[in-house]
Amino acid sequence: MTFWANHRNTLIAIAAVLIAAPFVASRPVWLDSAVILGVYALLALSVGISYGQAGILTMSQGAFASVGAYAAALCSARWGWPPFTDLVLAMLLPAVLAYGVGRVVTRLSPLATALATLALGSVISIYIRHADDLTGGYVGFAGIPAIGFIDTPLEYAVLAWLLVIAVVYGYENLMRSAHGRALNVLQQDQARARADGIDVARSMSAAFALSAAIAGIAGWLYAHYVSVLSPESLDTNISVTALLMAVVGGAGYVLGPIIGTVLFDTLTRLLPAAELQGLFYGLALVVILLVARTGLMGLGEQLIGAARSGLGRRAAPAAGLPARAAS
Amino acid sequence: MTGPAFDTPVPPAAADALVASGIEVAFGGIKALAGVGATVVPGRIVGLIGRNGSGKSTLFNCMTGFVRPGAGRVTLGGADITGLPAERVVRAGIARTFQTPRIAEGADVRTAVLCGFFNSAKTSFMGSVAGFGAARREERRLREEADAVLEGLGLADLRHTEVRRLSMGLVRMVDVARCIASGARFILLDEPAAGLTQAEQETLSRQIRDVAARGVGILLVEHNFALVRSLCETVVVLETGRVLCEGAPETVARDPRVLRSYLGAVGESDEQGEAAA
Repeated sequence: MTFWANHRNTLIAIAAVLIAAPFVASRPVWLDSAVILGVYALLALSVGISYGQAGILTMSQGAFASVGAYAAALCSARWGWPPFTDLVLAMLLPAVLAYGVGRVVTRLSPLATALATLALGSVISIYIRHADDLTGGYVGFAGIPAIGFIDTPLEYAVLAWLLVIAVVYGYENLMRSAHGRALNVLQQDQARARADGIDVARSMSAAFALSAAIAGIAGWLYAHYVSVLSPESLDTNISVTALLMAVVGGAGYVLGPIIGTVLFDTLTRLLPAAELQGLFYGLALVVILLVARTGLMGLGEQLIGAARSGLGRRAAPAAGLPARAAS
Repeated sequence: MTGPAFDTPVPPAAADALVASGIEVAFGGIKALAGVGATVVPGRIVGLIGRNGSGKSTLFNCMTGFVRPGAGRVTLGGADITGLPAERVVRAGIARTFQTPRIAEGADVRTAVLCGFFNSAKTSFMGSVAGFGAARREERRLREEADAVLEGLGLADLRHTEVRRLSMGLVRMVDVARCIASGARFILLDEPAAGLTQAEQETLSRQIRDVAARGVGILLVEHNFALVRSLCETVVVLETGRVLCEGAPETVARDPRVLRSYLGAVGESDEQGEAAA
């Protein structure tokens, strides 16, 4: 019972994955999409923690993912590390980078911090292009091995969504702790946070580091699944797409970024031409900022709130629209 | 009379006192404070009064780490805490409230109080994410402690109420509860009676007295002289960045300079009345 109360989002995510699994598994094409969708879901979740909770509008998640991806490539293909050991480095490296940068830039205004993350992403991407010996430069990196026994798209899809569920679980744990509450407070009111004894720069940097580590997981998974990497694989476009997914779904809600990811993916498939994607993304952002600043999850919560007060009694909680984790 | 009047004897427990002395603050070219001080002793309530712009908020902010003084010292039990950032001042045991309570309106009372426990939470950031047994036990302990704090202030029934549904008086008490949760030995209250009804003010002063009785030192920045009079043993009166006088409320209330400066119109009309008579 307590687990249900404390981990509602995790259980909803598990249920949704279990319901979708038989349909997805029936078609090989969908399995491939499910893996990529999992990578995007992880990236969008990383934006949720950074932007939705710590208030850092991050545009470097793609770069953190590429750090994780190249770490995976180097460890497994070049240095022959055993499977899964490279995941540690793929998480640690972006996290350390993000924490260090966070300590410096979180003192700035929110807009300046956002620009600093954009610059950080560019620096990482320039480094990857020019470190020929390490990353293969513009040519890239090929022949990244599979993760041990995990080989088929089905196995990758299972791994991808297990990782998504694990991240949701950890995210929920965080938001129910003193550190999660500290993030809620400092995002609303930094003076209040300081009066609670919260070191604002430190808390924000810790959240940014966690978010970078999750982006690193996404990159690690991507590198092993696709087996080739180039500087364009996980670039600033990916950062912006992940940001849009999180904002449209509801960056402040644990499951918001995942809902945004699934929605974007579905709509992108329905679009006739790839050239229209940019137009569509821009339009989606404008509409969501005009209609529902807290994303689809926020809109859903408002509608449920209105329905409840309209009925004058407590309605049954609707699946897929859980209460906001970060109040 | 020259210099401030010290009518009360030096308090016995001065060794653990929160002392500000010789504080100077300048904003641009304007001197907001020119060498002022105040002493708060555990278990006692000190009032800090003065007109708008007299520097009482600036002194308050210097003592809580929100403003760094240009000169002077703030010490806590003898240890120098001058210029420490606000979050470290809180860790040293000095908590503050805000004139306009800064509490997320959607949060319930217990969540608001839980936020005050940030310093006593031992689990690391990554430990919280992992959510192992120790982290869950700590969360349970914090909830119990938050309930105990609310119980102690008679707010236990409200713990699941949203803060936005509370009256201003209760919101201020939740803010005090949050200070107590942080383990503060000194609580600095920024105009707690502003916007409160007479009944709410009476409840609040009773609760403030209870908190002080448990050994917490309280500094009260307040406009409402009646409240200061009923609560404080010592009052510091500021005017244009200087200490105008200091002493027991009764003495301060009779001081002609205070009558002229702080009690303003009332004092003047009285004097005029006397002059006419």
